[in-house]
Amino acid sequence: MADEVILKVENLTKRFGGIIAVDQVSFELKQGEFLGLIGPNGSGKTTLINLITGFVKPTSGRIYYRNMEITHCPPYQIACLGIARSFQMVRAFHKIPAYKNLIVPLYSPRVRKLSGGKYGERDDMAIDLLDDFGFERDSFVPYKPAGSLPHGYLKRLDLARCMALRPELLILDELFSGMTMSEVSATLPLIEKFNREGLTIIMVEHRLKELFRVANRVIVLNFGRKIADGPPREAMSQKEVQRAYLGTETEG
Amino acid sequence: MEIIIYGITNSVTLVLMTLGFSLTFGISGLANFAHGAFYLLGGILTWVFMNELGIPYLLSALLSIFIVGLFGFFLYWGLMLRLRGLAINEVIATLATAVVIIEVLRYLGFSGFTYVLPEFIKGSIQIGKSWVDYQRILLVAIGIALIIFLFLFTHRTKIGLSFRAISQNERTAISLGIDSDWTAALSLSFGSALAVIAGLVILPLGSIDTQIGYDILISALAVGIVGGLESVPGILVASLILGFGQIVVATFIKAQWQTVVTLAAIVVILAVKPSGIFGKYKELEERV
Repeated sequence: MADEVILKVENLTKRFGGIIAVDQVSFELKQGEFLGLIGPNGSGKTTLINLITGFVKPTSGRIYYRNMEITHCPPYQIACLGIARSFQMVRAFHKIPAYKNLIVPLYSPRVRKLSGGKYGERDDMAIDLLDDFGFERDSFVPYKPAGSLPHGYLKRLDLARCMALRPELLILDELFSGMTMSEVSATLPLIEKFNREGLTIIMVEHRLKELFRVANRVIVLNFGRKIADGPPREAMSQKEVQRAYLGTETEG
Repeated sequence: MEIIIYGITNSVTLVLMTLGFSLTFGISGLANFAHGAFYLLGGILTWVFMNELGIPYLLSALLSIFIVGLFGFFLYWGLMLRLRGLAINEVIATLATAVVIIEVLRYLGFSGFTYVLPEFIKGSIQIGKSWVDYQRILLVAIGIALIIFLFLFTHRTKIGLSFRAISQNERTAISLGIDSDWTAALSLSFGSALAVIAGLVILPLGSIDTQIGYDILISALAVGIVGGLESVPGILVASLILGFGQIVVATFIKAQWQTVVTLAAIVVILAVKPSGIFGKYKELEERV
């Protein structure tokens, strides 16, 4: 079980007009791995995530999830298979109370199949779950409309919403951007805990120091190509990676 | 007194005409210009079922609600699915659908005094000094019941939940396993069914004329623009303003001036607050 390949990406390419956003990227991800996906701005990280989650369709290449091809599945089906994602920009259901945001995933066919439960219980499930993410149940925070909450809370709400889907693969797109240091250090152990409990995670992040504390593998992208893949220290010591990040000739 | 009674019934009539249009638009951002055509089609289908095929009224009504609802659903899968996101193409496609439906019905000759739908209860009642027919009282009751039903539906059911999720943030909803095309198709289907329900309640007050297919669309657009297209409170307030405005003008000035109220309200709102009274504030987006 532990070594089972959960995600396999084969020669994935995406062109937007003349620009190649993702160029012949291949990798395999094993159950329980914590993969950091890094690279300079515009290197294709978000496009790669959009390809895996079905929001963007590849020009060529294939994607397999647990040996099942998902290359052409629509995004909602991929979500139902257990791949949850957060977005770079906060995307909450802003008009409804924070805890009600979780009712949507809690009602998804996937969660209904996994847990059952009756209508009235879902409010409690949502409030319970949010409590773990710093929305204290006795405070007013979980009951306020999501749109009125500060950015750090919304980021954690995104994470909670992903977890409510009971994912087997969690993909986080710059979760820490815009969070304060104390919010990051409160959230990091949570993600670490999910990973220890067996959740496979892909994390796009610019805060490398925090990322390397939790990730046991890193893939570096530059101009859409995979230029390094391995444990963080090894990957970062490669010449091409240093050139991409420090910018001797190409990076401005 | 008469002004109050007819103001209220007129306002509720406007609410009924707009609800379906606004439901579809609020959920999937789709402006269904065939709304008025569906209203007309529902009325005529019911008449045909009753008078040509001899089906009892209730069954005919339910059947036409169902058929037009289904038609809305397949209009989405067959046509709108290919045009999603291109607002102007959506408008052209739904308007073309409307013209085809209305003109075919006109060609078949469904206009005039023979084409009358039955009132639910015949007769009238005296309120104060003025007489009101039961149909108008039922109309108000049904309008209010429908608003309450829609509120409960969107807030208490799974489909309603997915409607609200899609309307508030489509991409997040998709990432949580909601099929946006299915939801949009359902919303168009529900909106079309609501148009038929409105027709069944309102049409018995007069005879069916194919021209109403266009008139209803214009009324729905007017209420939507004044109130804010996706906002239910907006529709209620706008209907009251326009409903009472029309009656007051008709009573004190001249009945022909009624339409001017609607048009003037549209012009004023577009000049002062383009998103409508309760609409989302989009001014910045629009001007940049």
